[in-house]
Amino acid sequence: MKPVLSTHQLSKRYGGTYRVKNVNLSVHEGEIYGFLGPNGAGKSTTLKMILGLVRPTEGTVTVFGKDLGRNRRFILSHTGSLIESPSYYGHLTGLENMRIVQMLRDLPNRNVSEALKIVRLEKHQDKKVDQYSLGMKQRLGIAMALVSFPKLLILDEPTNGLDPAGIGEIRELIRSLPERYGMTVLISSHLLSEIEQIATSVGIINEGKMLFQGSLEKLKNQSRPAIRIKTQHNDWAHEVLGQYGYSPQQDGEYLTFESLTDDQVAHINRILVTSQIGVLRIEEQKKRLESIFLDMTGKENSL
Amino acid sequence: MKVIGLELYKWRHKRLFLMVLLFLLAEIGWAFAVTRISITRNPDQAGWEPLVATISAMNGFFLPILTAICVSRICDMEHKGNTWKLLYTLSVKRSTLYMAKSVSASIVMGVALSLQALAIVAFGIVHHFAPVPIWLLTRFILGTAVTTLVLIALQQWVSMAIKNQTFALTLGMVGSFVGLVADLLPSGVSKFFVWSYYTALSPITSVYADDKLHFVIRDSSLLWPQMAALLAVGMALYGVGSVHVARREG
Repeated sequence: MKPVLSTHQLSKRYGGTYRVKNVNLSVHEGEIYGFLGPNGAGKSTTLKMILGLVRPTEGTVTVFGKDLGRNRRFILSHTGSLIESPSYYGHLTGLENMRIVQMLRDLPNRNVSEALKIVRLEKHQDKKVDQYSLGMKQRLGIAMALVSFPKLLILDEPTNGLDPAGIGEIRELIRSLPERYGMTVLISSHLLSEIEQIATSVGIINEGKMLFQGSLEKLKNQSRPAIRIKTQHNDWAHEVLGQYGYSPQQDGEYLTFESLTDDQVAHINRILVTSQIGVLRIEEQKKRLESIFLDMTGKENSL
Repeated sequence: MKVIGLELYKWRHKRLFLMVLLFLLAEIGWAFAVTRISITRNPDQAGWEPLVATISAMNGFFLPILTAICVSRICDMEHKGNTWKLLYTLSVKRSTLYMAKSVSASIVMGVALSLQALAIVAFGIVHHFAPVPIWLLTRFILGTAVTTLVLIALQQWVSMAIKNQTFALTLGMVGSFVGLVADLLPSGVSKFFVWSYYTALSPITSVYADDKLHFVIRDSSLLWPQMAALLAVGMALYGVGSVHVARREG
């Protein structure tokens, strides 16, 4: 299947420093692609290059099979976007802001009312946007991106400024878009839990470089699950297993082992039973996306 | 046309025309009061010449700041709402947006200058001046319009390139001061300041002789080259500003 959006060796250099370096992104039709990275990783710069807001230093962007440089107008006419903070005219009402997008895109009135309804702003459409809360402005930004019901929707940190209920709503909305409207969604976030819940594919970027790209399953399988064993005498078990070359970590009531094969688990169990140490539990602990991400980027502080 | 129409749509709730009208009323009111006092003191000078000369001098003070305010308000709404990227992702070219802002600012100032011209004619008729001097007024309107167009180009460049509008408004205030004192500066110096052309391109100039102020009609053949040169400067400012803003990334 041909990708809806792909980049080839996409790079952006500011001064002597590469903000984005050789990024090869590939988003397929109907996907919700989670573009993940800590703050300052190069997510927004990459998305801006995809939309032609920033000129790449090197590399190409292909959307709907067409080169962005030569077909920007066509590509943008089928793409909706919300980049960084929402854009709006504060002195105009929400509806008037929508009308501006409507006029530029030549859309019927029903698109405007439908988009406002989707983000639940129809009751506030006649209020000036300056009087909106941050969450309402964010929802208006999403409505403006959605109003043409584009084939490709690019959302940069769309849940910024939303309360937990609002985050949940937007998450459900994004999840429903491919099925309801046949959209392909590219969503960036530094909130791993968010991407984990809605994305079908992920790309992980750190310091301008792509570290991983593929399905969530593939990402989770990249890291072997940890094995946790609970015994009646953890200290004794630790000592005994140490004599056989195992060095588990004490994790509360558990001894945790990284990267064990099935044979090794069976061997450890045999050692403990032979040494008359009661084994209470043997558990497999799959790593959460967040842990894998932290292992990859080592950027715990920025999350 | 669509983008220009959109610019006008964006002015909703801004009360831009009301602001311009109030500003203009203050200027015209002041100018007419000064002219009326002058006529009362020197009844032999009652005519179009002192009226046009006074309005030209007042324009040098009022129009630079009025232009700065109008252009700033038109451009600032994009900075405030961070709407540049919204418009660019809606396929609006940077150069088209720049042109639309320039045209819409010219429309506002065009309306202001038209109202001013009508007010001058009305004042002259009410005070029984000689028949309306169409050619004199046309030259006055052309000189004022060309100077204003150049100021729009200058102010727009500053307002769009620098987010903080204090710079643009300060430039407008500096312009007002220069416009006010332009006639006191040596012509070799004042010709380098665009704001001085409200009086420099006026068809009437005043000369103080025999303890009296005399109003003299300027030779139009001297004004046309100046006007053409100023227009060229304005076009250059527009071109450089448009390219500068279009090249910025965001």
